[in-house]
Amino acid sequence: MISPDIICDAVTKSFGATQAVSEFSATLKAGHTTALVGPSGCGKSTILRMIAGLETPERGEVLVGDEAPDAVARRGALAMSFQDPSLLPWRSVSANIALGAELARKPADQVDHLIDLVGLSGFADHRPAALSGGMRQRAAIARSLISKPEVLLLDEPFGAVDAITRRRLNVDLPPLWRARGTTVVLVTHSVEEALLLSDRVIVLSSRPASVVADIAVDAPGPRDSAFLDTPAVQDHARALYSALEGR
Amino acid sequence: MIGVNLWRKLLAAGALLLLWEGAVALSSDAVLISSPSDIAGYLSENFALIARASVETSRNAFWGFLWGNAAAIVLSATMLVLPRSERFLLALALLVFCVPLIASGPILRVLYGPGTGPQVTLAALAVYYTTLLALLVGLRAVSQNWIDLMRVYGRGPLATLMRVRARASLPYLFVGLQISAPAAFLGAMIGEFTGAERGLGVLTLRAMRGLETDATWSLALLSAAIAMTGYGALGWLGRRAVGYAPEILLSAPRQDADQTWWRSLGQTLLIVACVVAVWQLTMDAFDLNRFFAKRPGDVWGFLIVAENRDTLVAALAQTLGSALPGYLAGLSLGAGLAALLILWPGLAQATLPFAVALRAIPIITTAPLLVLGFGRGLAGTTVVVAVMIFFPTLVACQQGLRQTPGQVADLFRSYGAGRFVFLCKAQIPAMLPAFFASARMAVPAALLAVTTVEWLATGKGVGVLMATTSSTSNYNMLWSCVAALAGVAAAAYALVAALERAILRVYASEQLT
Amino acid sequence: MTQPRHLTRRFFLQTSAVAAASAGVPAFAASPTAVNFQLSWLHSVQFGGSYIAKQRGYWSDLGLDVSLSQGGPNAPVEPPVVSGAALVGISAADYTAAAVTQGAPFKIIAVAMQKNPFAIASLAGNPVNEPADLVGKKIGMAVANTPVLQALCTLNDVDIDEIEIVPTQYDPAPLVSGQVDCLLSWATDLPVAMTVQGVDNTTMLMADYGYALHSQTYIATDDAIANRRADLVALLKGEVMGWTDYLADTDAAAVLTAEMFPDAGLDLEAQKLQAARQVPLMFTDLTEQHGFGWFTDETVAANIETLVLLGQEVSADLWDRSLLEEVHG
Repeated sequence: MISPDIICDAVTKSFGATQAVSEFSATLKAGHTTALVGPSGCGKSTILRMIAGLETPERGEVLVGDEAPDAVARRGALAMSFQDPSLLPWRSVSANIALGAELARKPADQVDHLIDLVGLSGFADHRPAALSGGMRQRAAIARSLISKPEVLLLDEPFGAVDAITRRRLNVDLPPLWRARGTTVVLVTHSVEEALLLSDRVIVLSSRPASVVADIAVDAPGPRDSAFLDTPAVQDHARALYSALEGR
Repeated sequence: MIGVNLWRKLLAAGALLLLWEGAVALSSDAVLISSPSDIAGYLSENFALIARASVETSRNAFWGFLWGNAAAIVLSATMLVLPRSERFLLALALLVFCVPLIASGPILRVLYGPGTGPQVTLAALAVYYTTLLALLVGLRAVSQNWIDLMRVYGRGPLATLMRVRARASLPYLFVGLQISAPAAFLGAMIGEFTGAERGLGVLTLRAMRGLETDATWSLALLSAAIAMTGYGALGWLGRRAVGYAPEILLSAPRQDADQTWWRSLGQTLLIVACVVAVWQLTMDAFDLNRFFAKRPGDVWGFLIVAENRDTLVAALAQTLGSALPGYLAGLSLGAGLAALLILWPGLAQATLPFAVALRAIPIITTAPLLVLGFGRGLAGTTVVVAVMIFFPTLVACQQGLRQTPGQVADLFRSYGAGRFVFLCKAQIPAMLPAFFASARMAVPAALLAVTTVEWLATGKGVGVLMATTSSTSNYNMLWSCVAALAGVAAAAYALVAALERAILRVYASEQLT
Repeated sequence: MTQPRHLTRRFFLQTSAVAAASAGVPAFAASPTAVNFQLSWLHSVQFGGSYIAKQRGYWSDLGLDVSLSQGGPNAPVEPPVVSGAALVGISAADYTAAAVTQGAPFKIIAVAMQKNPFAIASLAGNPVNEPADLVGKKIGMAVANTPVLQALCTLNDVDIDEIEIVPTQYDPAPLVSGQVDCLLSWATDLPVAMTVQGVDNTTMLMADYGYALHSQTYIATDDAIANRRADLVALLKGEVMGWTDYLADTDAAAVLTAEMFPDAGLDLEAQKLQAARQVPLMFTDLTEQHGFGWFTDETVAANIETLVLLGQEVSADLWDRSLLEEVHG
């Protein structure tokens, strides 16, 4: 699978009088995971939604490879996990996960595997109403993975997941999309999560979002819980916090 | 437990019947009121006749129910896939709903000839509009995230409709279907007034003129029972088919970008032009005789004469004057009863049958009794109109009241808030979208009700102008009345919708994102 | 009552065969002509003669296959007739006159009710025996019928303002429950219902107080009269034969009606009473002399006068006796 670069070229977007994103430019490399961090309401979700083709920039352009985002979406090569799990209440957990494949017109052949991976074994036939918030979010992540997308967009994907499961997912999931060569864009509040999951972290200022710091996470070694304790990563963390607090 | 409950219910029913029997025995109006034993006697003596008539009317109602609801589903789906068509289709649907039986009856009979065509069509016409409005609310009651999810996979409005909206609207569809059941039955019955050979409507008409009180009461009770069965069966089916407790489903009306006044005026004019064209072309297409199927040009030519116009305007003023109190009373009654039933669920078993019954028995049966009780003045008119419209409001509001999200309920419980506080602060705001949907539905229903009362009891207003057509053949006046009523209904509908937007901005603003 | 001599079945079969043969049409064609006959109300013995004509094959003998479409509260007669869906309809002189004013090309081609059936019905304990008794009474009626009451008042020097009009639906209940003192109704339906239900009542026939207006009239369009004359004549012939049989035995007509329409919920006793009550309205010295359905220039003139009182200006052209003349000729 050849994943495309994502190119944001001087993208600007406002909602009514408030400007959400101003002149944001970045090239997110194919097969890499890029995290967008920044204060609440800074416009990072808007950037993600523009990459997904859910919002159209006022000025500037978003390209995925040489295609517009909605063209990629129509190929079924895009997937997104939202802050709200947005499961369909009338479908069981496994049917909700399978939905991702159905919509992308791909075979739904990994449902059981993904249910195990996100730790929902035994809940395949439950309706969302019977699950906790964290469990629903994990089902939503599984749904975004099942179509084997070329571009995976994650908007606070683990916000409601309990700390232990979150740590485990932070370790277990990246190998999956790295092996597939997926281009991942992650929006998160958590500096640790950004470091653990990404090859690159972009720190955004608050509204309108513009780049404050752009850090490559090039520390060696397996990305497990010990990874965060390595000196190189700790340096990154300090740099990120100071960038976040600087404004 | 269940056994005891059942016994208690049977006992209560028995006591009620005895009370009824006793009251009739003591009543001076014994010629006009039947006792349970008289009714039982009549039904057993005329079993074969009544059974044939019931089957006939039920079958017509069934087909009308299917066609009408299918039309509602197709229309609502079209409006969602082609949003530009919505205003026009909705206006057209409202206007067709406003054409009274006295204008549509002869046309349908001439079009179909003998047979069940008019009955089925009128049953369909009686249901499609309420289901359409319920469905439109339901099809929009989807979270923006679901729509985003579909878009992320490159799926358009059609896929969203099929996979998300259709399923998410199921609870609303069933509310529409439940309201439809008695309406379809009533439509089929009224449809028999266009010259049908058999059915419960024909028998009712005959029984009332023949002063056959036992027959009248038996037919009314039977109609109510059949409608209630349909209502109950659909409720059961709905609970099984929906299969999950819908999450928060408050849906605000569509947010049109703030339009300049001249743009909305232009749009309105365009819709009016389209409606006039549809009116003309439909009548031409079926080659309907100009004598009774008046075209827009005929109506224009008629209304251009000041004398005719003055007659119509004066009558319209009277009609609106009597419609408004009934409309407000019906809405308050429906919403109020829904709130009461939420506070005291036990009441539901006692009241709902009456509510369904009042909706299923033809107004020509109920109106004389109501007029007898409340007089021919404002009180009588108000009561009859209210009775005609409160049922859909009740059902829709009940559904709305149940929509309060569980977490909100827990929050209130954690503060030890009583049921009343919970009702006022959480459930009523949650009910508002459903309430407004029924307030919109009730606009044409109230107008139709008031014109009927005018004809039957007050002898004033547009209802009389229209009823007179049967002896005067003044179809110009009839169609002018139809056009005027449709215009009034559209204006009132727009007014309610504007009010709805204003209020929902405050109460359901979090749903507007 | 005696049957006019020439109105025998054999007579009709002979004459119609001659008429058909002279018109170059086989009298008993293999497929009879389908004709729709629009009645003015629900099936009842009110149309007993027509049922006899159908049941006893009078129409099929004349080469017609007649469907009897019943009316109803929302099934006015004029639209199907004007649009050609029905060949003939049952109307009344005032309704027809109004429809003609509105542009319908109708003619009255025969008259079933020589005397108008409108009456004032009241309870025996508080009777209205003559128009003067209406003063100070509450009358229940459709507001649309105000011109009818006005005409009665004018004819009998009664001030209509002294009568309180209460809008009611067409139903005896408001009278029985005491909401009104009297009702404007047909003499043959609501009073019959009250009698059958044991409510003592009095009727005052308006025709006995100057209200001369043909009712249960047969109407057809100018186009039908010009182009389907033979069918119209055959239909009227069947009617005449059916109603002649009706007169001979009204009870049998009531029984036949109840048997033909088992789904109509008809009460046999009420049908018999109604059948007897409408005889004096339909069969008069005039019909005795000229045959069923007849009208003369004099009765037409009287009708025109009454129509003036109802606010309708019509000429004698509204009536066309030529078909009846062929029927009875």
